[in-house]
Amino acid sequence: MNRQARALLSVLLIGVVVFLGWRSCNTRPDQDGATQIVINEASTRGGTLVSSLRSEPRTFNRIVLPSVPTDLYSILTGSKLIRVNRATQEAEPALVESWTISPDNKTYTLKLRDGLTWSDGVPFTSADVVFSFQAIYDPRTESPLDGVLRIGGKPFVVTAPDARTVVVSLPGTLGVGVAVLDNVTVAAKHKHEAALKAGKFKDELAVDTPPADLLSIGPFKLTSYSPGQRLVFDRNPRYWKKDAAGTQLPYLDQVILEIVPDQNAELVRLQSGQFDVLQQQIRPEDIATLRPVERQGKLKVIELGVAADADSFFFNLRSPYWAKDPRRDWITRKEFRQAISHAIDREAFANTVFLGAGVPIFGPVTPGNKQWFNPNVPRRGYSLDRAKEILAGLGLTNRDADEWLEDARGTEAHFILLAYRGNSSVERSAAVLRDELKKIGVKVDVVLLEQGALQQRIQKGDFESTVIVFNATNLDPAMNPDFWLSSGGAHFWNIGQAKPATDWEKEIDDLMGTVMTSVDPAERKRAFDQVQMVFAENLPVLYFVAPRLYMGVSTRVGGLSASILRPQLLWNIDQMTVKGSR
Amino acid sequence: MGRYLLRRLGFAFLLVFVVSSAALLLTRIVPGDFGTFQCQDLTFEKCKAIRASLGLDRSILSQYLSWLGGVIRFDFGRSLLYSRPVNALIGERALNTAVLAVVALIAATLIGIPLGIYTGTRRGIVRSIVRAISLIGVSVPPLIGSLALVFLAARTGWLPVGGMTSSGGLELTWAAWFADLARHVPLPALALAIPMAATLERLQSEAIASASREPFVAASRARGVDRSRSILHHAWPVSLRPILGLYGVMIGALFSGSFVVEVVTSWPGLGRLMFDALKARDLFLVAGCAATGAFFLAAGTLLSDLLLAYTDPRVKSGEGA
Repeated sequence: MNRQARALLSVLLIGVVVFLGWRSCNTRPDQDGATQIVINEASTRGGTLVSSLRSEPRTFNRIVLPSVPTDLYSILTGSKLIRVNRATQEAEPALVESWTISPDNKTYTLKLRDGLTWSDGVPFTSADVVFSFQAIYDPRTESPLDGVLRIGGKPFVVTAPDARTVVVSLPGTLGVGVAVLDNVTVAAKHKHEAALKAGKFKDELAVDTPPADLLSIGPFKLTSYSPGQRLVFDRNPRYWKKDAAGTQLPYLDQVILEIVPDQNAELVRLQSGQFDVLQQQIRPEDIATLRPVERQGKLKVIELGVAADADSFFFNLRSPYWAKDPRRDWITRKEFRQAISHAIDREAFANTVFLGAGVPIFGPVTPGNKQWFNPNVPRRGYSLDRAKEILAGLGLTNRDADEWLEDARGTEAHFILLAYRGNSSVERSAAVLRDELKKIGVKVDVVLLEQGALQQRIQKGDFESTVIVFNATNLDPAMNPDFWLSSGGAHFWNIGQAKPATDWEKEIDDLMGTVMTSVDPAERKRAFDQVQMVFAENLPVLYFVAPRLYMGVSTRVGGLSASILRPQLLWNIDQMTVKGSR
Repeated sequence: MGRYLLRRLGFAFLLVFVVSSAALLLTRIVPGDFGTFQCQDLTFEKCKAIRASLGLDRSILSQYLSWLGGVIRFDFGRSLLYSRPVNALIGERALNTAVLAVVALIAATLIGIPLGIYTGTRRGIVRSIVRAISLIGVSVPPLIGSLALVFLAARTGWLPVGGMTSSGGLELTWAAWFADLARHVPLPALALAIPMAATLERLQSEAIASASREPFVAASRARGVDRSRSILHHAWPVSLRPILGLYGVMIGALFSGSFVVEVVTSWPGLGRLMFDALKARDLFLVAGCAATGAFFLAAGTLLSDLLLAYTDPRVKSGEGA
């Protein structure tokens, strides 16, 4: 060994010795013993829960912009008038202690709890509720909630006979009933009245508002926001809710939301115990990496059930788009879509796209939505022979001995499929569709687009077909009219029709009228079952597999109540507990 | 020298203007704008109203001219995404990026240059090992490097996995805050510094090897100057020219923020801001971030030119130009 090598080895050896010494001096006491918590164990007061947030809040004003960070902020610092329990889907009292419904089902009389106060000590009264509705309906606010709180385009009339009573008069009957009030975010009149009068309510609660000026009527209040880093929430001592034993909620002292834009880094921090829970579900491909940590007892992978949202594949069904296209005779026909449904092996789809963590579906309502799922919809399952037979019926046969079908004019059976670049499951879905349809001689050209470009193409109707994911925000179909109604802004296959373009869309419109206005639950269910039947027959959107949802949670977390809607665990933050130090 | 500086300053302003204008115009013309995201699930009328209130219904020329009017007053407009002035957002994030950039630059210099001098002037197994490691450092993409470091930090617990400070940082004393920051900086700084150090090592190695073969180095050795002194005092200054040229680009790249490293390590810097702005098509924020990046690039190249002039007499006299 020459002098150089000896010197290098000596330096390395000294380095190792110094490092080991430093580590032994800096090793913290073993924390594992303190973190053996059983999920859903009895409550413990105190402690800090750390979760992640993938994107930054753009505003704290949920009336102006419902989004994932703003919704989470609203859950932590706000309270609903009447809350829909995300686990049971039942409406339950919140700020409103009790309510009565008039015999004609058009007037709700709400009684607010006694002694409610904002975090600054000012009483919360019916005037705040009336003010919140005024803010939502003010056109200058441009609130997306405005559309949800109308019937036939007419707004609710909200009055306050006394400080604890609110009367909501509806222009018609409402199928969802008082649960519609789960959408209302309340705003403090004494804080924002001047802004609303000046037409500047939209700019209220901006992200640069000092935390001291942000009022809370929820379990926590924001105490610091470091842009790009984290939001820190401390317990709101004036929160109104108590548990069954009379203990003031929330149990936690503090909630920290760390902003981590990268999903891989987020997962690593969950594995290392720096996060107690993630903002949303883990990807199927990440489950295997969490299993070893689960075996060590530090983490629990919880299955929440089947997701309410699945990858959806649809064609552009606007007639003008195809008017001059040689494929017009068959590409928008329902039989063509039925053939595609038969051509997809949903089991293989689940294995490839969701690594086995998915269930075959045949319509937009998944088995995860137990209340509204119709198990009797026609299932056009895997059968290549049936698919080929249907295509032959459309005149699509192999006429030139290549691998693709052609119609009578010689036009090849092909189409372009647009998909969102960057979403691994959507990209895999597109690839599976291309490969599966190749087996029946239908050629698919997959084009991956950036999200903004894809959305613009869909909104403008400038696409042949696409595969995207609709994020479910509510399980009651009456709360998603934009998807079902032919006039809806989320009726993506033929958006915003002045009048229904087809008979079956008119039939769905009529049935949805019942779902949205009937107050008889059985009648609503019957009508929506029929909606699903019509949908499954005409297949404007094809569904193949709904993923199973998994969450990774630290074993120090208790008081969990899981939902398949986002945020799957944090929706019930005032009941959550932690034990032991991190 | 005065005229040279004026010329370079003029070039810097031109670069900032061209880059930010191009960024704004390109963001404006690509399919999908900020309104596309706002209009999801909304009726046509509501969408139209929102687009009008955001100014997205205006022509590209009108939008550009009004933005330009603001830029002349150093006002880069208001971010559509955050509803805050672009200047304020960039100010916050640029400082964070600067902290990271300075540490990464110092680390890369302290690692890369000495190793480059060593490998350029020595032979043996140690040299081969260093060269192999630097080749890996140059080849590994920043995403993989960052993730590997994050994984290492998570597994060992030696360093915080991400973020710039710990929670509760606002209540800390200055000294405690600085200590907290010092614990968070190494991981993202290393992720940035390793490929740069590797690049510097390779460049320095070649440059000093070449300079060592120059007659004046041999002459100094013939005069009895010892080998180390001859290398450091005679060969090294001459070998610095390509290194300093690279520094200009490195400073520009570092100070305009690396979005990959900042996203993976959750560092709230300019790169991440630019990334978020691009995703949301926040054209004013994109233009502001691009202008900042161009400014740092111009400043970096100016600084490296000045350093070059300082270290290489041929530049001052114009021989090397």
